[in-house]
Amino acid sequence: MTADLESLVQALTDGERERSLEVVAALVSGGTRALDIITAGVEPAMAALDRKCTAEQFNLLEIMLAGRAVMAVIRRLFPEEAALPTPRGSVVVAVLEGDIHDIGKAIVKVLLQGSRFRVIDCGKDASTAAVIAAAAQSGAEAICVSGLISSVIPQVRGLKPALAQAGLAHVPVLAGGAALKQCEASALNVDHVCQTAFDAIAYLNSLAEARRG
Amino acid sequence: MDSLERVRRTLAFQPCDRPPVIAQVFAHAALASGRSLEDYVSSGSVAAACQLEALAHYRYDAVFSVLDLTLEAEALGGGIQARPGLYPAVIRSPCHPDDDFARLPVPDPKAAGRLPRVLEMATLLRRGCGDEVAVVGLVQGPMTLAVQFLGMERALYLAADDPDRFVQLLDYAARVAKAFGLAQLAAGAHLVLVFEPAGCPEVVPPALFRELIGPLLAGMFTAFEQAGALGNWLHIAGRTEAILPRYAGLGADIGCFDYCVDPRVLLDSAGTRRLALAGNVKPLSFVTESTSVIERESIHLLRLFDPRGGFILSSGCEIPPEAREANVAAMVRAARDWRGQT
Repeated sequence: MTADLESLVQALTDGERERSLEVVAALVSGGTRALDIITAGVEPAMAALDRKCTAEQFNLLEIMLAGRAVMAVIRRLFPEEAALPTPRGSVVVAVLEGDIHDIGKAIVKVLLQGSRFRVIDCGKDASTAAVIAAAAQSGAEAICVSGLISSVIPQVRGLKPALAQAGLAHVPVLAGGAALKQCEASALNVDHVCQTAFDAIAYLNSLAEARRG
Repeated sequence: MDSLERVRRTLAFQPCDRPPVIAQVFAHAALASGRSLEDYVSSGSVAAACQLEALAHYRYDAVFSVLDLTLEAEALGGGIQARPGLYPAVIRSPCHPDDDFARLPVPDPKAAGRLPRVLEMATLLRRGCGDEVAVVGLVQGPMTLAVQFLGMERALYLAADDPDRFVQLLDYAARVAKAFGLAQLAAGAHLVLVFEPAGCPEVVPPALFRELIGPLLAGMFTAFEQAGALGNWLHIAGRTEAILPRYAGLGADIGCFDYCVDPRVLLDSAGTRRLALAGNVKPLSFVTESTSVIERESIHLLRLFDPRGGFILSSGCEIPPEAREANVAAMVRAARDWRGQT
């Protein structure tokens, strides 16, 4: 890694958007390819954030600032979302019907995009039907649902059976958020319960590794 | 010994017949008494009647003069969405990052939005409970209100991008909270719970809590104490180990801790020696678990804190409205029977 890419990793993990963009501008004018900036700058920064979060040294404010910086860099390098380099697959994110608290979903979305997933955002208060349609249309490899209030639990429990009815039983469902993370995966009828947003990325990575054998 | 005296003695770490049990029952009181959540949040008199019925049914040691958590934003003109069977939600923040927070008026608790209904509720509860059962009001803390007034993203980005204006926003939010809390005390609440989940170390760094939020909470607690509050109650959900030892120094008498905190850590913490602790049966377990689980968890906590004293058996956060009544009763029973078991 060059010194400039190291400073980009540092700026991103510090959540410094303007400094990150300045470093990216210097890298681009020096001839560094956009894809290399993503793989050797953004992705190591995401990994560093993951390590810090796992060590319980992180908070929402710092995650949001880092996420904002990451997204600014990606947008600067790839103004059109469709042009994102070598997407790792599609993930549907949603807050299901009855819950309108979407900050958790917003964080997961940023981290997924920073990890080169293509994200289909069904928004908040989203119907099960809308989530399933988005998953079918995008060929999603996973669905992430976030829930802050306990009243959304029945909708979460109903998602897997509805997916099965739509012929999408193979699509794993991940759940997280203040209310949902109090539950076991079996109680929610999902594949995995995430304690943090980074946990979702780790689980998706483990699925990818399992597929690679 | 009546409930109020039991709470008073617990706050002072004095002996009492048994630890108090305070179930954080808000709209569950409505559902348990056969009324709708919508009726509960729209009428102070209905909500008070629900709380008193729930008190008679469960026989815990305090009632809450609480409707929902959108009141302050609504009083400032924010957009509130009523939702069948659910608490209302803020769908349009009342403030904008460009507002001059130093000059924004503090809403009058006797006139703005549904704030007067909370005051009516406090008065009716105090009339119903007299000085035998604690009537607990609630205000949201400055960080939580700041988030509600601007929206989470805009508030947190303001903290990073324009710290001076963020301080002004926090200061304004604290003035709103203090005025509402003082009005609740004047209306009949014995004490006010300050609900500050956005001050959690999982949301903002502990340094921000220490430098910006803490001093504002201290100012609110001083004002409430001077107004005759029985004590000050600080409630921050989540992983609060890093800040709980600071609560007593801010003037809090009770600190809530929820299931995210290992209670054994608090037993060993020098910083929490002067702080009565309230916790921490997992809130969702009142919906999903059996009564035997609730009973076992409750007895575990009672046993753990018995040598220490200064303990209130509680859920550490709101018991969901759809909780099973038998589970709430199981927690209360564990505390009420406690001395008979030791």
